[in-house]
Amino acid sequence: MEENSVLVVDDEPIVRESIRDWLKDAGYQVATAESGEEALELIKKQDFNVMVLDIGLPGQAGIAVLKQVKAQRPWIKSIIMTAYPSAETTVEAKKLGAVHYLVRPIARDDLERLVRETLDSAGRERTVTTEVEIRPKPPVVEVVAVKKSLVITKEGLKSMVESLAKDMEIVGVKSRHGKYVYDRIASFEELHLDYDVAVTPPTKYLLPARETLLKFKIGDEPKVEPVIEAIPRAIIGIHPYDIKAIELLDDVFMTTNPDPNYIARRQNTIVIGVDCLNPSPKSFAPSMDTHLTETGFDLLLTNIGADYMVSVGSEKGADLLAKHAQLREPTGDEIAKQKAVRDGALAKYKLSLDIPKERLPKLLEESYDDPYWESRSESCLSCGSCVMVCPTCFCFDVKDNVSLNLKDGQRLRQWDGCVLIDFAKVATGENFRHDKASRLRHRIFRKGKYILERYGRFGCVGCGRCATACLAEIASPLEAFNAIVESVQAKEAAMRIFREVRPEIELYAPRLAELVKVEELTEREKVFEFSLKDGKALGHRPGQFVEVSVMGIGEAPVSVSSSPTRDGTFQLAVRKVGDVTNALHNLKKGAMVGIRGPFGNGFPLEALEGKDILFIAGGIGLVPMRSLVQYVLDRRSSFGRAILLFGARSPAERLFLDELAAWSKSPEIEFHETVDRGDESWMGNVGVITTLIPKVDIDPRKTMAVVVGPPIMYRFVIGQLKKRDLPDENIILSLERRMKCGVGKCGHCQINGVYVCQEGPVFTLAQLRNLREAV
Amino acid sequence: MKPKVAFFDFTGCEGCQLDVLNLDGEELIDLLSAVDIVNFREVKTEREDDYDIAFIEGSISRESEIPRLQKIREQAKVLVALGACACIGGINCLKNHLPMEEALKIVYGKDAKYYDTIPARPVDAVVSVDYYVRGCPPITAELLKVIKALLLGKEPDIPNHPVCVECKMAGNVCVFERGMTCLGPVTRAGCDAICVNSGRHCWGCRGLVDDPNIDSEKDILKKYGLTVEQAVEKFKIYNTYAEVTK
Amino acid sequence: MKKINISVHQVTRVEGHGNIVLNATDGKIEELIWEVAESPRFFEAMFRGRNYQDVPHIASRICGICSISHTTASIQATEAAFGVQPSQQTLLLRKLLYNAEIMESHVLHALFLAAPDFLGVGSVFPLVETHKDVVLMALRLKKLAYNLAEALAGRKTHPLSCMVGGFAKLPKLSELEALRNRLEDALADLDITVDLFKTLKIPDFNRETEYIALKDPKEYAFISGQIASTDAGLVPVDKYLEVTNEFCVPHSTAKYTKNKRDSYMVGALARFNINHDQLLPRAKRAAIELGLNAPCHNPFMITVAQVVETFHAVEDSIYLIDQMLARGLEEEDNLTKFRAGRGIAAVEAPRGILFHDYTYDENGILTEGNCVIPTNQNHNNIQKDMETLVPLILSRPEDEIRHTLEMLVRAYDPCISCSTHLLQVSFK
Repeated sequence: MEENSVLVVDDEPIVRESIRDWLKDAGYQVATAESGEEALELIKKQDFNVMVLDIGLPGQAGIAVLKQVKAQRPWIKSIIMTAYPSAETTVEAKKLGAVHYLVRPIARDDLERLVRETLDSAGRERTVTTEVEIRPKPPVVEVVAVKKSLVITKEGLKSMVESLAKDMEIVGVKSRHGKYVYDRIASFEELHLDYDVAVTPPTKYLLPARETLLKFKIGDEPKVEPVIEAIPRAIIGIHPYDIKAIELLDDVFMTTNPDPNYIARRQNTIVIGVDCLNPSPKSFAPSMDTHLTETGFDLLLTNIGADYMVSVGSEKGADLLAKHAQLREPTGDEIAKQKAVRDGALAKYKLSLDIPKERLPKLLEESYDDPYWESRSESCLSCGSCVMVCPTCFCFDVKDNVSLNLKDGQRLRQWDGCVLIDFAKVATGENFRHDKASRLRHRIFRKGKYILERYGRFGCVGCGRCATACLAEIASPLEAFNAIVESVQAKEAAMRIFREVRPEIELYAPRLAELVKVEELTEREKVFEFSLKDGKALGHRPGQFVEVSVMGIGEAPVSVSSSPTRDGTFQLAVRKVGDVTNALHNLKKGAMVGIRGPFGNGFPLEALEGKDILFIAGGIGLVPMRSLVQYVLDRRSSFGRAILLFGARSPAERLFLDELAAWSKSPEIEFHETVDRGDESWMGNVGVITTLIPKVDIDPRKTMAVVVGPPIMYRFVIGQLKKRDLPDENIILSLERRMKCGVGKCGHCQINGVYVCQEGPVFTLAQLRNLREAV
Repeated sequence: MKPKVAFFDFTGCEGCQLDVLNLDGEELIDLLSAVDIVNFREVKTEREDDYDIAFIEGSISRESEIPRLQKIREQAKVLVALGACACIGGINCLKNHLPMEEALKIVYGKDAKYYDTIPARPVDAVVSVDYYVRGCPPITAELLKVIKALLLGKEPDIPNHPVCVECKMAGNVCVFERGMTCLGPVTRAGCDAICVNSGRHCWGCRGLVDDPNIDSEKDILKKYGLTVEQAVEKFKIYNTYAEVTK
Repeated sequence: MKKINISVHQVTRVEGHGNIVLNATDGKIEELIWEVAESPRFFEAMFRGRNYQDVPHIASRICGICSISHTTASIQATEAAFGVQPSQQTLLLRKLLYNAEIMESHVLHALFLAAPDFLGVGSVFPLVETHKDVVLMALRLKKLAYNLAEALAGRKTHPLSCMVGGFAKLPKLSELEALRNRLEDALADLDITVDLFKTLKIPDFNRETEYIALKDPKEYAFISGQIASTDAGLVPVDKYLEVTNEFCVPHSTAKYTKNKRDSYMVGALARFNINHDQLLPRAKRAAIELGLNAPCHNPFMITVAQVVETFHAVEDSIYLIDQMLARGLEEEDNLTKFRAGRGIAAVEAPRGILFHDYTYDENGILTEGNCVIPTNQNHNNIQKDMETLVPLILSRPEDEIRHTLEMLVRAYDPCISCSTHLLQVSFK
């Protein structure tokens, strides 16, 4: 896609052509359409950044075009032209996402300015690299005006901390080996408030390096119990950039799927910030707009010489002052002094971004294939230092630890990081980010793009810790951002209060399910039928997955292979490929497992309704596919033709033999199958699955293809389907990644900016077009 | 049927085996109710030649140790290398560099009985090894982790990332920032960075990660003041047997 | 014709590999050898060319059980070579760390390795069923020693924080206070141990020999003082070679030693015989209760002397912690100025006097090293004990002879992997 392509839609040739000429002169790529229909045809073939649209096209066509564009190409920014800015159509157009309007007659300068601003602002909002809609997160805080600033003497601060220490644990910055670390403070004298940067961030008190999520018992009376531990604690001396990082973590852990462990700690923590007056030489906080903060703290101190200015950021902070401290109103001089020391600190920063941070997402997107990543990562040790010292990194792994008596144990969460070699490795052994260049790029993309798109905040606060920790001197996002550049406003004073957040206490706690039936499918696969102990139905959609726990061994994502239209139990067909699946295979009828979920989006049933459906399943891809096939057969009248193509490597690896036999005879479904290599007993087709596609007759306009199989299969099947003129929107795929937590937190299943467990595992090919790591 | 566990020592200091006894009372009782320790010369007189899991301590540094080890491999269903000497050759391999050994062979060759010595090597240079409990000495908790994994039939989860990960988790100030040098960036984690936690640096006793960036580590050591020779010497202490110092 | 053929291949419940060979016909001994079969490890070769910071790290690996002794000897020899005088605080910490090893090693030997002999079983494991309290107590004492070492040096086996010049990390006073309370509790556990040992039947066998140990006029010596011999009086540590007189025997990969007589003994009993006056009160009382009186010539009493010394180590640890709590601990600069030179240090490892002797070049690189290990110094004495003991028991059943000889070897608590540290010996 050209980064400056504009589509002009107007039925008046003169207007259309003059706009085209003006914009061409200004250096834009311009295409024109004289009707809504033509415009829609064009955007199917070609992508545009901006559409300039006459909203007054005859017969409401302007609004119709806008609707279609919003649905099909949401990233196109629309500027509408109208004669009557207050007219109903204009209002509706704004609702439909039009970003600006121009009032006729159009002035050349206005037009150019608006188009330019619209293109420039593309980075400010979520840049949509995909059509995958990342679920919007409601903010967890409400912003309210700051009540006041006060002054406390240094002696007064000391007695405040000492008084506070009677009620809670005090954590602060201490000196160690000439550097600074966060640690428990036993006496006020140990506390440093004038440090440059702490080696590791204070976020460890909210998301500790290791913590217990669950306690469980194995055996005759299995039991699972969430473990949530928190103690009252005040963290004193957090710099604004770290406060900003905490705000991001709040958004991650307190919005969708609210994390009970994080929330308990967060609500027991008092954040007492301090302005950073002597920044670390590696910091570029001002470029990320994190050198000062008006939000995110309970109290914020500023060293104004003899005394400290105290800004009150929350009710909690105000209460604390009332109980523990003596303060006075600031004088005018003191208020001026606060501004002066802050300005003085700002002047001390040595590093800065070469571009406004808002442009980072777009720049990164364009640099995806830049050789920079390869060369930059050459000396990368994959040692994890950069992510382990990062205040905004929050990815984790989950492991079971069993006591030596093998009867009880805990499920533990510990930090993990996307630059570590095994981060994106799945049970089958496939590693989706096996080279260090792609890992390094992923980390930088998270910092400058993915996190922003998901949470509306940058994943980098410019603290400079990673740049200091990286021995190979390659971790600095600033250097990466600036290198990429080379190769290619005043906020309201506010105080934050938490909206009432209700943690999901059971977020990581599985429900118990009994194994009611086991059936061997092949040497490596078995199908397990489970019934939830609470008697409820699983409540899944076809194509969703669950996290299955064999307590003591661990948890693994498994697709549900039965349709919700069948009875109260559900089935999981599982190949033996790792610890959990091996353990599942050893279970006998009556055994208990843990189930979390269902997770993920499942197949788009609404979009499939009324369509002909071409199911293409390779190998164990039949497992998730079967849930949909059953569903379609059970609701047969809601769908058009049903055609199932199935390929296995050999006759011995065919799954669900009874059902295959039934389908091959059924008039309800057209069934074709093949094997890669036959044997003496095999009378059917021999050849890879793609050889079946030319054999079926499909109408590309009313056919939806649903493809599930091993990663290698997708590329070839897609090629064949494209030959049959199937549009990308009609090709649906299900992807497997390491869905470790299932709730969009741990980071393992991420494909570029998308979490497979949240936005997937089912995608249309159109959605995957810009997900470079997907297929 | 409890699995039968046997411990065997080859060339080493026997510290690994002794740390097996560094258990709490409860743990020892649990361990003994989970497995039968049938062979443990250092603490036990009776021996049995029927065992399922064999722990091998020490490196192989004598001709006579080879058939002994092969016999153990034949008997054991699972063979676990215990400690740095067994897993990676460890400090015993330091002698492999020295011309002195050649000299000794020439001078004392006829007294082969007393001077039965060959270049030291890890266990997997002689027989196949199923699991590794790394470190000098190994972390008792990791030994237990492997035993539990064997009992549960799952893969023991031993990290394949460098010590830096755990060192940062522990909140340490980087050894390099303190004016010393360290092998943490290429050494396999699992020790919780105990040496750095104790004020020292990583010597590399757990061996290298699967895909270490040795060139980068050497560049870093040079940047922090070591000569090429000193950098190589640093690797030698535990990792002589690995390719890096060749 | 009565033939006795005893061949104990690899004596169990000792550290390292040693064999006993006894062949006798009709009461006539044809062959009686204590054979050391440990794989030689070439430590001297490993040291050579190493940086002084790495030398104690490698020295520690001579032995997994007395690694603190080797580390301490190595640090002190290096400091002697560089003319570095450690601070008072460092010495307090070193002594406390050292006590942890004495406690751990003696408890391991007395309760885990030797006690099964007296209780008629082959290992500590069956005792978990029959003598659960004793086993739990022993584990408790061991754990305490481990935790003490952990607080001071990061861990017990191959300690970390102790280094040339001082300590890389200091224990927290709060940790020390907690340990002090546990040490107080340990005294009660040791009373139970004494009661247990009072009931055990120690073989009555005496053979007078030369006893050698460190002696320090200020205290029951572990890491300071001069060499003291019951035959030869005081000898400066620097003249250790005149005492040890190492020599080689063909049936051993370890070297043997002798001084004034055919052989001499080092270890807990030697220390007791030389320094018993300086034991702390509870230790002295335990010696009396256990019937250990100086001079004692019964090698089977070594284990009893270890119990007494464990008492001393616990008492001394409490005393040392009290001193630290009173004076506090301060971060000190551990930077060492190195220089070319030779340094010799002697410490009392759990099994006896240990010498490390190093020569460094001007870059702090070790050019020559020699270690004389306690067990080496005892090998010859074990041989001589056997030669005296066997004729006395030769008429007994073969199993009993074998068991008695094994018990004798075990009483010395030999640390054989230590003893085969070198191979610059010549067999002529």
